[in-house]
Amino acid sequence: MSVGFIGAGQLAFALARGFTAAGVLAAHKITASSPDTDLPTVSGLRKMGVNFTVSNKDTVKSSDVLFLAVKPPIIPFILEEVGPDIEARHIVVSCAAGVTISSIEKKLSTFCPTPKVIRCMTNTPVIVREGATVYATGTHADVEDGKLLEQLMASVGFCTEVEEDLIDAVTGLSGSGPAYAFTALDALADGGVKMGLPRRLAVRLGAQALLGAAKMLLESEQHPGQLKDNVCSPGGATIHALHFLESGGFRSLLINAVEASCIRTRELQHLADREQISPAAIKKTLLDKVKLESPSLSVASSSKVSLFTKKSKQN
Amino acid sequence: GAWPRVAMEASELWVGFVGAGRMAGGLVRGLLQAGKVPASNIVASAPSDKNLDAWRELGCRTTHCNLEVVHRSTLVFLATKPHILPGVLEEIRPAVGSHHIVVSLVAGVTIQTLQRLLPPWTKVLRIMPNLPCVVQAGAMVFSRGSNAGDEEAALLKSLLSSCGLCEEVPESYIDIHTGLSGSGVAYVYLFAEALAEGAVKMGMPGALASRIAAQTLLGAAKMLLETGEHPAKLRGDVCTPGGTTIYALHQLEKGALRATVMDAVEAATNRACDMAKD
Repeated sequence: MSVGFIGAGQLAFALARGFTAAGVLAAHKITASSPDTDLPTVSGLRKMGVNFTVSNKDTVKSSDVLFLAVKPPIIPFILEEVGPDIEARHIVVSCAAGVTISSIEKKLSTFCPTPKVIRCMTNTPVIVREGATVYATGTHADVEDGKLLEQLMASVGFCTEVEEDLIDAVTGLSGSGPAYAFTALDALADGGVKMGLPRRLAVRLGAQALLGAAKMLLESEQHPGQLKDNVCSPGGATIHALHFLESGGFRSLLINAVEASCIRTRELQHLADREQISPAAIKKTLLDKVKLESPSLSVASSSKVSLFTKKSKQN
Repeated sequence: GAWPRVAMEASELWVGFVGAGRMAGGLVRGLLQAGKVPASNIVASAPSDKNLDAWRELGCRTTHCNLEVVHRSTLVFLATKPHILPGVLEEIRPAVGSHHIVVSLVAGVTIQTLQRLLPPWTKVLRIMPNLPCVVQAGAMVFSRGSNAGDEEAALLKSLLSSCGLCEEVPESYIDIHTGLSGSGVAYVYLFAEALAEGAVKMGMPGALASRIAAQTLLGAAKMLLETGEHPAKLRGDVCTPGGTTIYALHQLEKGALRATVMDAVEAATNRACDMAKD
């Protein structure tokens, strides 16, 4: 089985690194493409032994499982570009937040009658094989196709199938989750430094504390509330600290964060569905490419770019 | 020395109350409800008849003389207001013998103080009840003084379990119990009132809302006590994904309810400690 990545950024790098480290895939069976060869991840991928190309079409041709590892606004461009090369054998896996299966199937159906589409939401710790991944299968993806993806993603962490309507919530929780954790760890380390620890040690200990706690929770039958209680001796240090967290509304901040990320994901999806994207969301190189290929698109005079309207826009 | 072994059978026990206020009234109702001690074996003293009428109605004996209570009882509950107690102890001290068991309900008065003001052989215990003892759903903690032994502790526990939860604790927990449960009852009343107000805002008549609020608290507490599950787990069980409960809980978390409640318990506990020092 060979795997391709359209896009050679953080996500492609993380997944490639994870798959090769897990031994489920040899590096030479992986291809990644991007027009931008200056990305730091590009050299990383090359060093791994992954085949790198600037041609998305080449990636499609040499893959069975094709990951769309580009930012959500770019997805429509990519589908338009590689659509003609998608065959019945391909499993197209989109990792883009807020991009629905139906929008992908709609685009591809102009080229291929029954495209196999799977939508997936993963997160960056796949790079160390502790990812959290969910996936939902599209209309023409079989049970085996889902299982194949699940096998791949399970090699780099936890993976389970869900209904598509839960994916935005997953984005808010475990998609963005590592960022919340990094923020917490940075602050915890600051606390350690304030109380006299050298920075490196503070970071190391903070990270280990969160890692250990997460591991305990995953391996325990107990509720996190119970595990918390087990750490809090009466009148002790921990309960004093927890009181501070509660006073600051720690819990509600985290609930707010998950909610905000989920809601934003839905907003972006709605923007994409209306095919209204601001040029700022698209990198300049790609924008130039779009202008070259579709002279009828007028970007300068409107605040929004309308993507793939069959009729040309006259402003 | 060995004193005549007074029967510890509850039915033969003579129980006295110095002070006949609300808390004493709650305990005696609990005792009577449980049928542990006949009313005729109970005597209470108070300066005026104001409180004593209710005791007589229950079938208890009453007096205006504190010494009489001590003479006629084996188990003596001290239930006066804190500033009255030193005077009362001075008054009854001559009548206190080694057969007596003295149990103080008086807030903020330590075992050390009690033992200082009573004869050195006195069996002293200190108890902190809470208001719902009145309806036999109280929470009480007690500690023993130097001369009180396992028998006295067991007697107290068996008599008062009729009023609710009754646990022996180190004396240092008594102020915490005040903050948690003594005052805690008021926090619950506040919460119940707020729940009902929310319902009234949404269109429910007040009286119905209040009854439902109370029943909700009762039911939730009953489930906690009977299942022994962690409250966080029970809370999770009620929260269906994306449902009404989790939306409401988010509001509570935004309001830092947990921290506020912790602050309340801390404030009451600290105040109890400060008052004890006065």
